[in-house]
Amino acid sequence: MLIQVEQLTRIYTMGDSVVRALDGVDIDIDAGEFVSITGASGSGKSTFMHLLGGLDRPTGGSYLLDGQSMSRLSDWKLARIRNRSIGFVFQTFNLINRTSAIDNVAVPLIYGRETKTRAKAMAALERVGLANRHNHRPSEMSGGERQRVAIARAVVNNPSVILADEPTGNLDSQTGTQILDIFHELNASGTTIVLVTHEMSVAVQARRLIHMTDGLIDVDRSITDELRRDLVRDDLLRAARLQSEPVIKEAG
Amino acid sequence: MFFLRIVIMSLRALQTNLMRTMLATLGVIIGVSAVVSAMSILSGAEKEVVDKFESMGADQVMIVSGGGRRQSRRIRFDALKREDADAILDDCELIKAVAPEVTQPMQIKYFQKNTNAQVLATTTAYESINDYHVAEGRFITREDDRSERKVCVLGHKAASELFGQVPPVGYRVKIKGLGFTVVGVMEKKGFLGFRNVDSQVIVPLGTGMKRLFGMRFVSMITAQATDQSMLEAAMQQISRTLRSQHKIRAGADDDFNMFTQEQAKKQFGDVTKIFEVVLYSIAGISLVVGAIGIMNIMLVSVTERTREIGVRIAVGARRIDILTQFLIEAAIISLIGGVLGVLVGMAFSDLLEKITQVLTTFTPPAAIVYALVMAGVIGIVSGIYPAVRAARLDPVEALRYE
Repeated sequence: MLIQVEQLTRIYTMGDSVVRALDGVDIDIDAGEFVSITGASGSGKSTFMHLLGGLDRPTGGSYLLDGQSMSRLSDWKLARIRNRSIGFVFQTFNLINRTSAIDNVAVPLIYGRETKTRAKAMAALERVGLANRHNHRPSEMSGGERQRVAIARAVVNNPSVILADEPTGNLDSQTGTQILDIFHELNASGTTIVLVTHEMSVAVQARRLIHMTDGLIDVDRSITDELRRDLVRDDLLRAARLQSEPVIKEAG
Repeated sequence: MFFLRIVIMSLRALQTNLMRTMLATLGVIIGVSAVVSAMSILSGAEKEVVDKFESMGADQVMIVSGGGRRQSRRIRFDALKREDADAILDDCELIKAVAPEVTQPMQIKYFQKNTNAQVLATTTAYESINDYHVAEGRFITREDDRSERKVCVLGHKAASELFGQVPPVGYRVKIKGLGFTVVGVMEKKGFLGFRNVDSQVIVPLGTGMKRLFGMRFVSMITAQATDQSMLEAAMQQISRTLRSQHKIRAGADDDFNMFTQEQAKKQFGDVTKIFEVVLYSIAGISLVVGAIGIMNIMLVSVTERTREIGVRIAVGARRIDILTQFLIEAAIISLIGGVLGVLVGMAFSDLLEKITQVLTTFTPPAAIVYALVMAGVIGIVSGIYPAVRAARLDPVEALRYE
């Protein structure tokens, strides 16, 4: 078992109000899985991802990554785990704009005190098909290319899990598909992927679907081809309905 | 290796905002150049004055009129007589030579040519005591002095100003309307004490006192000890001799003052200390201003790069790594300022030397090291607060920051 989560809670207190962002989540994720987490905004999926990634500490419950309890680690050990075992991919790419693609990819290697950083960063860029653009800066690249650089940065240390937060959210659907293809390839070569998205058409790309509402998991099931077809069709129908409905007339 | 990479990362970040980096260094540049030019001017002046003191000779003691606690009430300038000099030479066995002297500026004429020179009336011993010798002809003799002969010895520069290429020995010049035969020309020497002896004209003491100045006292007696280590004892002998010469009762104050090269140097050192404190305070204030400038820029930089900091933490940077990076950035800004400040300071003191033509400046290597170390320290100190703020950022918040 790669990820074991039991009764995980995260409670924010802001003045008098208490927000139970995560209200007792139980979940196991095996190595090699491709999981998507969906839910409305405010459902707790981002909070959950931050906890999985070691960017935040839970208020209660336990979280084991590779058998190691993450809730009691020191800042140093947590940083090391973020560096070695976890790869982040963000909606807004979060690249450092003043440096080239290869330098961006090399950042985790530097904090990991690795040697031969250039060669390793280059290899990661090759995995996402951007070796020839290694000297370009993010500002000289398209959105899809930037996200591929971000993925290269996430995989450069061969992490056991990639956490992707709305990775296609800022991309057109065609480019989004390319990015998802890369995730499929990474998953095929053994990397566990946790994909957070609110788009059903993206979520169904995974093999397991987790849906969250009000800080709790209400759906956790594997995605069969049939389900995938239905969900996509529903999505399309909903979209079609939205387009065909005479919104303006009603309003007038 | 890791450290080096952080340094490279910091340099890149600074390079991206070159204009801002330069503005941030400005305060340090001004501060450091103030320190360096202050140090250059001070050590230049000190070196020059010390050189002059050195030229006085460490085995000498200068005796002048005045002294005592009652000095302020009744300043005496006529206490020393030339007989005192003879008495010192006769009675003090630790003194091997004395040269009494009187000096006044006067106009020297040779046909159409005129020059203003310091006329020094002294005795034969002047030559050996000061290790300052004639290049042509001869020096003043005992006989010149006793017979009050109208002869003179020209300083190197005085000779060339009046005579050009012509050897002056044997010609007559006019001092205060009186004809003097030139008997010798001195070697080139430069400064002896605070006096530029090259443009001076030397006449016999007797001649000078009676025929030129009309004075019955001497302004200074230079006495040379038999040995430098005996200088203290020799001064006691001089004191005893002069008190009995001047018939000063026991308990009453001296009517003369003595000083040696050592004492003069020490007194000068005390004066420069005051200047040092004042100059360094000014420099210190401008460095504080520089530090505030760096802190300000670093705070802006941290705020601007909040998201980047979040990303760095997400990919495995420890808080100490973030702290180090921003501290290094601040130190680099400050060091660049330091290096430029040293260059500006050196250029400024050079310029000052050229413009004023009187100041001599000298930048001691220690000042450069001192300035650079100080710049580094200032950078780190002013970088601490911004760096700590960066390191304390919550990564989740930082990644959301717009």
